[in-house]
Amino acid sequence: MGIKKVGLNRNVQPQTLTEKIFFLDFMKGLKTTIKHLFRKVITVDFPFELVEPAPRFRGVHGLRNVDGTEKEDFDAWVKKLKIKPPEMGETRCIACKFCQAACPVPEIFIIKAEKLDVPEDHPHHGLKVLSQFDMDLSKCMFCGLCTLACPTVCIIHTDVYDLSSYTRRGWVLNKETLSKIADDFIARRGKEKYDEKSHWPDWQKIWDDSDTARAKAWDNNPPKLGPNYADQQ
Amino acid sequence: MSWITLDKIKKLQEQFDFVQINESDKGFHSVEVPKENFKQFVQFLKEDPDYRFKMFIDWTIVDHGQKADPRFQGVLILFSPEYKERIIVKTWATDETLPTLTDIWAGAKWAEREAWDMFGIKFEGHQNLVRMFMWETYPYHPLRKDFPLKGYEEVELPSLNEKERMDQLEGLQNYSRMHTALPTLEDLEITQKKRMPNKKSQVVLNWGPLHPGTHGTIWFLFDMEGEYVQECDIIIGQLHRGVEKLAENLNVQQIIPYTDRMDYIASMNENHSVCVAAEKLLGIHEKIPEKAKYIRTMLAELSRINSHLLWLGTYALDLGALTMFLYTFREREKIMDIFEGITGARFTINYFRVGGVYADLPYGALDAIEHFIKDFPTRLNDYETLLTRNRIWLRRNIDVGIITEEDVYSYGLTGAVARASGVPYDLRIIDKYDAYGEVEFDVPVGEKGDSYDRYLVRIEEMKQSARIVQQCIEKLRKMSKNDPFFFEPEDKKMKITIDGRGTKLFKGEVYAGADNPRGELGVYIFMPKDGIKPHRFRLRSGAFYNLQIFPKLMVGRPIADAITILSTIDPVVGETDR
Repeated sequence: MGIKKVGLNRNVQPQTLTEKIFFLDFMKGLKTTIKHLFRKVITVDFPFELVEPAPRFRGVHGLRNVDGTEKEDFDAWVKKLKIKPPEMGETRCIACKFCQAACPVPEIFIIKAEKLDVPEDHPHHGLKVLSQFDMDLSKCMFCGLCTLACPTVCIIHTDVYDLSSYTRRGWVLNKETLSKIADDFIARRGKEKYDEKSHWPDWQKIWDDSDTARAKAWDNNPPKLGPNYADQQ
Repeated sequence: MSWITLDKIKKLQEQFDFVQINESDKGFHSVEVPKENFKQFVQFLKEDPDYRFKMFIDWTIVDHGQKADPRFQGVLILFSPEYKERIIVKTWATDETLPTLTDIWAGAKWAEREAWDMFGIKFEGHQNLVRMFMWETYPYHPLRKDFPLKGYEEVELPSLNEKERMDQLEGLQNYSRMHTALPTLEDLEITQKKRMPNKKSQVVLNWGPLHPGTHGTIWFLFDMEGEYVQECDIIIGQLHRGVEKLAENLNVQQIIPYTDRMDYIASMNENHSVCVAAEKLLGIHEKIPEKAKYIRTMLAELSRINSHLLWLGTYALDLGALTMFLYTFREREKIMDIFEGITGARFTINYFRVGGVYADLPYGALDAIEHFIKDFPTRLNDYETLLTRNRIWLRRNIDVGIITEEDVYSYGLTGAVARASGVPYDLRIIDKYDAYGEVEFDVPVGEKGDSYDRYLVRIEEMKQSARIVQQCIEKLRKMSKNDPFFFEPEDKKMKITIDGRGTKLFKGEVYAGADNPRGELGVYIFMPKDGIKPHRFRLRSGAFYNLQIFPKLMVGRPIADAITILSTIDPVVGETDR
């Protein structure tokens, strides 16, 4: 570890007389420019060509539904929070509000759970069900803290990034919209992101290496992806 | 650790009987001095050959709450380049006044203006104590503890509300009709006049606030005599969002996404500063898992390359070399792709956590980084052939904006700006945080301190960063996939979580930071007791102090040099304004 001196006459020589007279500095510069003239185009032609976001990409939120890939402790959480045990296709949200607690801007969320209106002898008596889950994404920083706090991997980030809307109301997403976004995302790319217990697997790739648009942006010479660590396959 | 030792402080106490010592078990001892003796004491610290604390780092205020008397405390942080030590000197601001330090360190000028703006502390003897970020007619001092987080909502702004087809967002998530105070055109005119009270010539040229050459919303005032600048002043604050105030109401992991929005070009490094400071306050910085340390070092250096590439592209673009911009953005795109794959975001990253990182590297991450680093030197070579010895480039840069070594100390300049003036001030070497103690790299140092030297220093920094990244990759390759990437505390009292819920800070104070592409981002955390929310969260922004020297460099220079000097100082408005 040391100190390296830089400066004119140190690591850079001033222009010589020949360079000055024959404009050699300009020639050299032009060489670089001309070299680039014969290279392939690297610009991705958006919107006709799309780069697929990475699996970890933090886009618009979604609320996952029960699909048999819940974590081991899912039932325990449901029991603990006195939520009606969800059936296949119902939301995983247990209204624990951990996402709201972890969020730097907690006003984003409006989460409400209601007691079921059933007679006393019904097995679901006294249990609650999620009635409202609104998110105002115009206030969201997409920091990802809510998804890390979620004990049931219900709230997730999807790869949707186009959020434009004509009115501010378009950024307030309710339970149904969020569920639809998540279902759509899981159907498209769920296998890339989660393993069968909804964890991030260690084979989760940095990005999909068969994506031609991304390869173009990498100068048509994309890296070959391999394991990171010595004991990884 | 680069802090003054207790023995040396004890010697100070022998010499001056008014010195009080606040000992801490983590090695950051601070000194408390009465207000009357404060100036004499810091003058002694600056000049005495045994101490030589001649470099100004930070000068700020801590509000102890309405009930405390005296309520405000000044905190001065100094660095001794000869002994490589820091010291914190504190003094109570009785009657809400403090003596000015501008005649000892020129860098205190803006720091005192900021303290006046945010806390309402008057500095006796300051030449022009005007507000720093807010406009002149603004009635409040927002960082005081009695100022509410939401501010006072006084102005009606119904246009924010949902009005489409009379379709109101029922009750809950609609915007309030009321808004906090906004400056009017008259307010801005008063502000402008106060900043430049005695203009010398006829023409005052306004550059900014929205000009492509300023790279953000900075408003420059040039008092011109023909083509030459007689006097210059800067109005900043258009992007002031009060990150320090917000931070006082959040836990430390939640502050990290806000720092993304400060220096948005090198957000990884901003996150790094907060993590290092909080970890040092908790006393766990040395215990962070090896893997997390190396990942953080590697990504911080990649982020430095990313930031310098943007600087190089826009700097060359401003001086008329358009193609450079396109070339550097091609390289940036690859780094952004890597960031996107590893962290989930391209720009506002929020990947580092107090205690490590939030997830392990995904499959193929090291290969992608290695691929980039192998290719990078040839690209950098291309840039250098285009620029380094080009005659236009030399003419526009050499001898423009010379910063002397004395200036560096008195203005508290850090980062590449300080290094180009021959001061090897680099926190990576001084503090050796994370894995910087274990990797090989050189600190590039310039000679003259002109714009050309700053250019060369940054180019060399990119090469050194690539070297560090390469070493980190080699080290990470040898690790196991099961190694931890997040710190698990053994101590029952300590709670650190990845999502931030319940993360606690300990009682005490700390000043620590990381070397960012734009200088030292220091974080000063003050905690009177254990708790979740920091009592005072000061962000010592490198870009803020670096920008301060701009008016001095501009005096007597033609207006065309403003672009060169501003580009080589390289401020980011998100960080200067916070």
